[in-house]
This record gives sequence, C-alpha cells and structure tokens, in this order.
Amino acid sequence: MKKNNQNTIKTDTLAIEAKGLSKLFGVRRALDGLDLKLPQGAFLSIFGPNGAGKTTLLSILSTLARPTKGKAKVLGFDLNENSDDIRGQIGLISHRSMLYPDLTAEENLLFIARLYGLKDPKGRVDELLDAVELTLRRHDTVRTFSRGMTQRLSIARSLICDPKLIFLDEPYSGLDPHAVDILDGLIAQIRDGRSFVMVSHDLQKGFDLSTHVLMLAKGKEVLFSEKENLDFEAFAQQYRATVGMGVV
Amino acid sequence: MESKSGANEQVVEQANIAHSILKTPSTFSQYKALLAKDIRQEFRTREMLTSMGIYALLVLIIFGVAFSQMPSSYEIMPISGGLIWALIVFTSLLGLNRSFSHEKEEGSLQGILLVPLDRAVIFLSKATSNLLFLAIVELITIPLFYFFFLSSEIVADTLWLAVIPIIVGTVGIAGIGTLLATITMSTRGKDVLLAVLFIPLSYPLLFACVSATSAAIVGDSMMMSNYISSVALAAGYDVVMILVSWLLYDYVVSA
Repeated sequence: MKKNNQNTIKTDTLAIEAKGLSKLFGVRRALDGLDLKLPQGAFLSIFGPNGAGKTTLLSILSTLARPTKGKAKVLGFDLNENSDDIRGQIGLISHRSMLYPDLTAEENLLFIARLYGLKDPKGRVDELLDAVELTLRRHDTVRTFSRGMTQRLSIARSLICDPKLIFLDEPYSGLDPHAVDILDGLIAQIRDGRSFVMVSHDLQKGFDLSTHVLMLAKGKEVLFSEKENLDFEAFAQQYRATVGMGVV
Repeated sequence: MESKSGANEQVVEQANIAHSILKTPSTFSQYKALLAKDIRQEFRTREMLTSMGIYALLVLIIFGVAFSQMPSSYEIMPISGGLIWALIVFTSLLGLNRSFSHEKEEGSLQGILLVPLDRAVIFLSKATSNLLFLAIVELITIPLFYFFFLSSEIVADTLWLAVIPIIVGTVGIAGIGTLLATITMSTRGKDVLLAVLFIPLSYPLLFACVSATSAAIVGDSMMMSNYISSVALAAGYDVVMILVSWLLYDYVVSA
C-alpha cells in the first residue's frame, strides 16, 4: 500500500486498543480498568445507565480528557504521546452542535476548515454543505436554524477533516423523527471506510447500527461482543437485568 | 477470512487517500482563524463592546456624582490615575467574563480542542481579541474621563506619557485575564470568582500602572522619578505572566 504521509494508518491497525483504562474524578471512579479492541471499519455502540462511564470513555478516546491510569491507542497512535495525530483523524458528533450560533453555516465550516489547514477549504465547505443539503442556507446564521438543520451542519463540521474514526455522543438526542431519518441517511452515506463509536440510550437503534456492542455499568465492562453473536431480545434482557432499568 | 482482510485493506486505503486533503497548518494561520472568528462574532453581536461600554459610562457618571459632593478646593489630579484604573479594571472584568460565553454556548471550545493545534494558540488569539475589545472601550472612555474631570484642570506636559502605562497595563489585563477567565468559565459564580482571583494576582501590575499614570498626569518631578521603574515593573509583569499563561494553558483548558 502506498503511503501518503507519516500519518497513514496501517491496514492491520486496530481502530481502538485500550488496556486498563481508568478515570478518577476525585474519589469517584468513572472508568475502571477497561480493556477494548475494536477493528477498523467497525461500529461500536456503547450502552449503560447514567454515570456508567460512557461519555468519559468517549472523552478519553477523543483526546478531550486524560486517563488517570491505563493505555490506549487510537488508529494506532498512542493516546498520551501522539494526541495531535489522533485529532487529525477523528470527528465528534454530539448532542451539542459545537457551532457558533452567530456565525453563518459557511463561516462556521470555513473557520474549522482553516484550523485543520485544509488545502482547499472553500471547496471542501461547498462539498459538505451540498452533502447535508444546506447550500441554500449557507449565508444564514446558525441561530436561525431548526434543531435538525443544526445537527446536519454539526455533522458536516465533524466530517471536515475526513475523519477515519467518528465518535457519536447521543447524536439522536432531541431530534424530531424527520431529523432522525436525515441523520440515519447521513450515517449510512459516510459509513464506508470509517469506524464509529456511538454512545446511546436508544437500545434498538444503537443495536441496529452496530457491528460491536459494549455495555458499561459503574465504569466497568459488563459485556463486549460482536453483534452477530448476540440476539437483541436476549441482549435487552441482559441490559435490563444488569442495569436495572427499562429498555426502549 | 482472506476476503474480509482484503476488504478491510481497501477501506483503509480509501481513508488514507482521502486524508490527503489535509496539509499541516501553520500556527500563525490557526491564530489568524481563531482571532478572525472572535472579531467577526463580536462585531456581529457587539455583546462585549456594548456591555463594557455602557458599564464604563455608568462608572463615569458615578464618579461625576461623587465629585459633585466634594469641596471646590479638592484636588482631583493626584487621584485621577487611580480612578482611570478603577474604570479600566472593573470594565475589563465584565468583558473577560463574557469572553468565553460563545465558546460555552454550544460546546464550541470542545470542537476547537479536537483540532490538532497548540493550545497556547487558543490563549494567544483570545488574549488578542480581549486586548482589542478593551482598547476600543478605552479609546472612548478615557477621553471622556479627561473631558469630564480633567479638562478644567491645568494638566502637566507629561500627560501624554500616561498612554504608555495604559497600553502596558491593558496588555497585562488581557493576558492574565484570559487565563483566569478560562479557569473560571465552567464554575458556578464565575463572575465573583474571576474578580477574586484577578485582583490579587494583578496587584503588582495595577500598582505599577496607577503610579505611572498618576505621575504622568500630575507631572511632579518626585513622582516622575518613579515613572520609568513603574512602567518597567508593569512590562516585566506582562512578560512573566503572559509566558506563564502560555505554558499553563494546555493544562488549564484541558482540565
């Protein structure tokens, strides 16, 4: 395989490889010795009740937080030593848009494209606005957008650097059914060649999208498996039994 | 198994080719992008400028009311340096508290932290935009202070020298204020906390700037003998605190 630059990912590299990952907030253990191996091209859905450590895990893997203990590699790069290499190849879609409400859709994307140092920021922004069907609203400020439109623009924002690994933090939160359909369509469009890690409270949707499933409780792994080895009903039952809460 | 590995290789190769849309951005281009975003946003909303401007005018009115009660023989010149700095400090605290409001609203700071960039660039751009907005407000309010309180006084020829401590002090306030605003932005009661941290930490700077400004306004030879050392102290404080802020910013913003 031809290598383009030093950041090129080797084909046999795992998307995520974590060993003994722990995070303490004071005396509270948000994540407790988690081991994880996720191949490239996989879609991992993470489930668990509030306070299970899902978002903490996502924050650590996306370089936004530092683990207290343990090691991890993301796309083959060490989390502590090569965080900038990781940052150039990941995207995060959250229930918070990470957009500036008083800037226009185009200004928001151009700003982030320039921060990443894209070769052709304008061209990339045009391409992404077209992909999320917001070309006609490009000069409108984000404050005037509906929740669904904001979420579409937020997706475009997260794709600006053409990430190899996308983190989704409850991306369906607060979306109406139409916006959910659009988000489903966009995820399907960008799925080829990328790995995904999604935190979700929607058991059915998370299960349907995934190739791998991780269940957390009190910062510990309860279950990690490829989806093909699981039956949804049995999985949902285990979720209820482990977590002690209703599902779907 | 073999076909699965082949498909995986193809997928990854596609991803690597797509990665060629990126080039290594220069720190300066990232600084420019962050600064341009702050300026564009402020001139569109005028949030910081309006609030700081109105607050400064209100402080001037209160000064005016206070001085109207004083006996006519009262000398305003020796205390005018202190009054100017009270005006600058309280106005800037209001602005600094708001300087991260846009970054917090939709988690935009998190989005910036996901980009491969030196965290100190975020500090430098934010400190520059704070400095710019403070300077704009000072350009309006300090001439107003002169017009209301000093225009009827016989000021010294050295008055123009007051510009230097004002510039040096404003740079320091923007620098240390940006670091402290980052520390307090996610705390409850951040307005009070910023002031509680800011005033003691910037005390040497404020002391030096008040001395130098008062000396320039009064023009008294004894006071002027301390002018150079006061400006030097303020400038030294700026260099040290901005360097410390630069070095600490990665830790502070990631905490």
